[in-house]
Amino acid sequence: MPVVELDLNRIQRLVGKKSNRKKILDVLPFLGLDIESQEGDSVRVEFSPNRPDYSTDFGIALGLQGLLGIKTGILKTNVKKKGNYQIKVDPSTSKIRPFVTGVIAKNGSIDDDSIKQLMNMQEDLHFGIGRKRKKSSIGLHDLDKISFPLKYTTIDREHKFTPLNSDTESTISEILQNTDVGQNYGDILGQSSKIPIILDTDGNTISFPPIINSALTTVTSETKNILVEVTGIDKQSAEDMLAVVTAVLENAGFEIYQLKISGSKNSTPTLASRSITIDSDLTNRILGLNLSPSSIILCLKKCRLDAKLKNKRIECSIPRYRFDIFGPMDLVEEVALGYGIDNLDPTLPVSQNIGSKHSITEKLDNSSMVMVGLGFIEALNSSLTSKQILYEMTNKNSSDIISVTGSKSQDHTILRDSIIPGLLENLSSNVHETYPQKLFESGIVFSRDSPIKESINLSCVNASKNANFSDMKAVLQSFLRTSFNLQCETKTTSDNTLFTSGRVANIVINNQNFGQIGEIDSSILENFRIRTNVTAFEITLSGLIFD
Amino acid sequence: MSQVLHDIEKKIIEVLKSKPNQTTEQLSEITELSIDQIRRGIEWLRLKDLAEVSESTKKSVSLGKNGLEAFRNGLPERKLINLVHDSPKNFDEIRSNLSGLGFNAAIANARKNGWVKIEKTESGQIISKKEEAVETPEEKLLSFIGEKNVSDEEIENKMALKFLMNRPDFIIEHEETTKSILLSNKGKEIDFEKADSGAIDVEANVPSIHPARIHPLKDVINEIRETFVNLGFTEIFGDLSQPSFWNFDALFTPQDHPAREMQDTFYLENLNAEKFASPTQIKNVSSSHKNGWRYLWNIQEAKKMVLRTHTTCVTIKHLAENKPDDARIFSLGRVFRNEKVSYKHLVEFNQVEGIVIGKNATLRDLMGIQKEFYRKIGLTKVKFWPTFFPYTEPSLQTMVYNEKLGKWVELFGMGIFRPEVTKPLGITKPVLAWGGGIERIAMLKYGVDDVREFYNNNLDWLRNASKCQ
Repeated sequence: MPVVELDLNRIQRLVGKKSNRKKILDVLPFLGLDIESQEGDSVRVEFSPNRPDYSTDFGIALGLQGLLGIKTGILKTNVKKKGNYQIKVDPSTSKIRPFVTGVIAKNGSIDDDSIKQLMNMQEDLHFGIGRKRKKSSIGLHDLDKISFPLKYTTIDREHKFTPLNSDTESTISEILQNTDVGQNYGDILGQSSKIPIILDTDGNTISFPPIINSALTTVTSETKNILVEVTGIDKQSAEDMLAVVTAVLENAGFEIYQLKISGSKNSTPTLASRSITIDSDLTNRILGLNLSPSSIILCLKKCRLDAKLKNKRIECSIPRYRFDIFGPMDLVEEVALGYGIDNLDPTLPVSQNIGSKHSITEKLDNSSMVMVGLGFIEALNSSLTSKQILYEMTNKNSSDIISVTGSKSQDHTILRDSIIPGLLENLSSNVHETYPQKLFESGIVFSRDSPIKESINLSCVNASKNANFSDMKAVLQSFLRTSFNLQCETKTTSDNTLFTSGRVANIVINNQNFGQIGEIDSSILENFRIRTNVTAFEITLSGLIFD
Repeated sequence: MSQVLHDIEKKIIEVLKSKPNQTTEQLSEITELSIDQIRRGIEWLRLKDLAEVSESTKKSVSLGKNGLEAFRNGLPERKLINLVHDSPKNFDEIRSNLSGLGFNAAIANARKNGWVKIEKTESGQIISKKEEAVETPEEKLLSFIGEKNVSDEEIENKMALKFLMNRPDFIIEHEETTKSILLSNKGKEIDFEKADSGAIDVEANVPSIHPARIHPLKDVINEIRETFVNLGFTEIFGDLSQPSFWNFDALFTPQDHPAREMQDTFYLENLNAEKFASPTQIKNVSSSHKNGWRYLWNIQEAKKMVLRTHTTCVTIKHLAENKPDDARIFSLGRVFRNEKVSYKHLVEFNQVEGIVIGKNATLRDLMGIQKEFYRKIGLTKVKFWPTFFPYTEPSLQTMVYNEKLGKWVELFGMGIFRPEVTKPLGITKPVLAWGGGIERIAMLKYGVDDVREFYNNNLDWLRNASKCQ
């Protein structure tokens, strides 16, 4: 989960005079913001990726005002239509990054802390709804460095400009090769010879989306007027992003002006609120409450939404930046938040249901108790294991291996097809403990089928000076008889790599093969650095006990 | 303190109680046990701090060749005085009667004792009696020693002994080291009556043995399973490997969602599911994605096999297939996340998830069932915070107060399945769902602060972790 760092003094100032710190800290979790740590005035909180508006203190202050009852209702985005700010879209962008949108934010001021937060918010937006800038990406620019109208078009890779945080010109190709952002996001543009670009009327490069802005329009604490531009491959996602930034800038004291957009399926964003209607009944039924429509409306307003009663239903108006709200059920949650989760009294419903374990669990539990009775300690190993343990150390052919892609851990790359190797590994790491060591494990093993088959196996190992085939066979027979009232035979076999030849047998029940039993071969014991005798068996219970 | 004593030990103690300081030989003689048995018994008693062995050196003397001669026939000076008793004699007469070295010694000692005087005459030197010769201390000592071996301590006149020792071959010195055994203070307190009553040493140390047992983590898993069953939940079971469809798509997770990327989820290399859902299910889920997330849903993505990232895939599939109107169901098992293994993260761990479906199921019910669940596993301080999960709305998380850590810790998440999840699969009643990792609870229970501990299978820990925590 993303994290934002808050300064309590700032938050208190933003929330309003009537707030106090203790209340703010108490209420934060009930906005869905987990306090990760607190040091003096600085608080780190985790926010959910579906609420990018909480990535700045402006957004969080808005939420706090609502729950604390200081200010409620919607923050209406008032888009002024004065001025002649315009972006014209060239059709050539349609094949590579077809959409652009944006607004103008004027007459505000931002300090260095706010700039830092805005930058972090951009990164969160890029990662989340922007899908790592692929779907949409955002740029903030110093408006006063720009001459309108702007042009969103495409250009050759030889095009030159001075990118952000640089003082020399580079070509597009150089930027893609030599900068971190170029290397990380260059793939989004594919191999196309032309790339998207925003140019101003003087021919200055404003932005090279989705990679980097130009140095010319860098936003600093001196900046009073801002251009926000968002480009992307999905128009709605681009406008979602724009709405979040607009709401935050507006809350930071900026006036919002329209940026006209035209050409090639593009249009000027309205940033208008939507309305969704909910029933009091549905709300009360889901929450288990009996709230009047007016109480429900109050709750919604506390969540910075607007609502009114219309034909016995509640019509709720949702600001553009709350695109996490899909339908009525999301509003039910808003009512719950506005009501206060800590005000919801848990109720224990009466149930006619009689519970039961699954028959597989039941049988596995019982047979595990039999193994314990026979003196074996239960071990637990990962079913996602390493090729080294499963194949190399047991001298096994690995052609049927089932692997996962891109594992971050060397020890967890393939699915086990047998339990014994894991148990041998356990013996290997316990050589300093007293003997005899008797372990068993039951669990799922995997084999190729269409596409994959999962079976439940049970294995045990006995490591001790006197471990021998007959004693292990006695354990096997006792296990099968006591657990399942089954008789087994042990039939000689040469098909194995794990056991000493001549001291290994197939476990045969009703003329069918269900596993192997034997003395582990000395070369394998050597691989695992085990210096005593080990006997083992592994039996497949699926097909024998379970369906 | 009661002692378990061997018969040998008992016999030795019995003797030493009345006669302390006995040698091995003496003990052997009195107890009629062999020297070997006595030696063993003494060793046992010493280890038990019941007896002590003291070592002493004993010096003694006996008469040598000349000493014995003097004892039998008198010292040379006595022989001399006897010769001159009646009349003085000259040197030659005396020398013929006293042979060898005895002559010089006899003259010297007799003069020293003041028994004789020597005069020079024309016919040579003449020895005559001067005084009556009384018995000397040396003579007394000779008779005392006689033919015996006499210990140093018995000889009172050390001066006389010294004189005799100066004479050649008169005295032989002997030195003998002896071990004598005596009871320690603890040994003296031994109560035979008690020791003979058949009592044993109930306080002595014994070797440790270990029971075979179920894995401690499995104990917690079983406890949680029992708790679900007690609350009226029926267990369902499903595969660890799942088509992306059931793990993600059916749960309204868009195909370009970060959680679906390889760096969070384990995809099985080149494995795709063939038949995984009905055509209607696929069609409805596909359009739910198109309407909700506005993108072109791709069936190829849905076919990709993954290791399940939660047990919810088992639950949703069960609901889609059975469409119950009123049920309590839970599923428990391993889930997988492509994470770097650390003290708090495993790639494979256990998760439990319960759902309640019913036409009157409410969020408050969900909270109430949670509270009851926690109460049953011994967690009583519980509160709820809002949170976000992609497939539930409303969503909450449980915070549980941990006394050991002195703080609130996050446990299970919960919520009501979104209509975007239930509707396409034909589920019409509200579904309350909650779940979370079991290792977290086990860590709190066993005070384990490294989650890897549960899968190390360290025998020392497995053999000694308490069963009832």
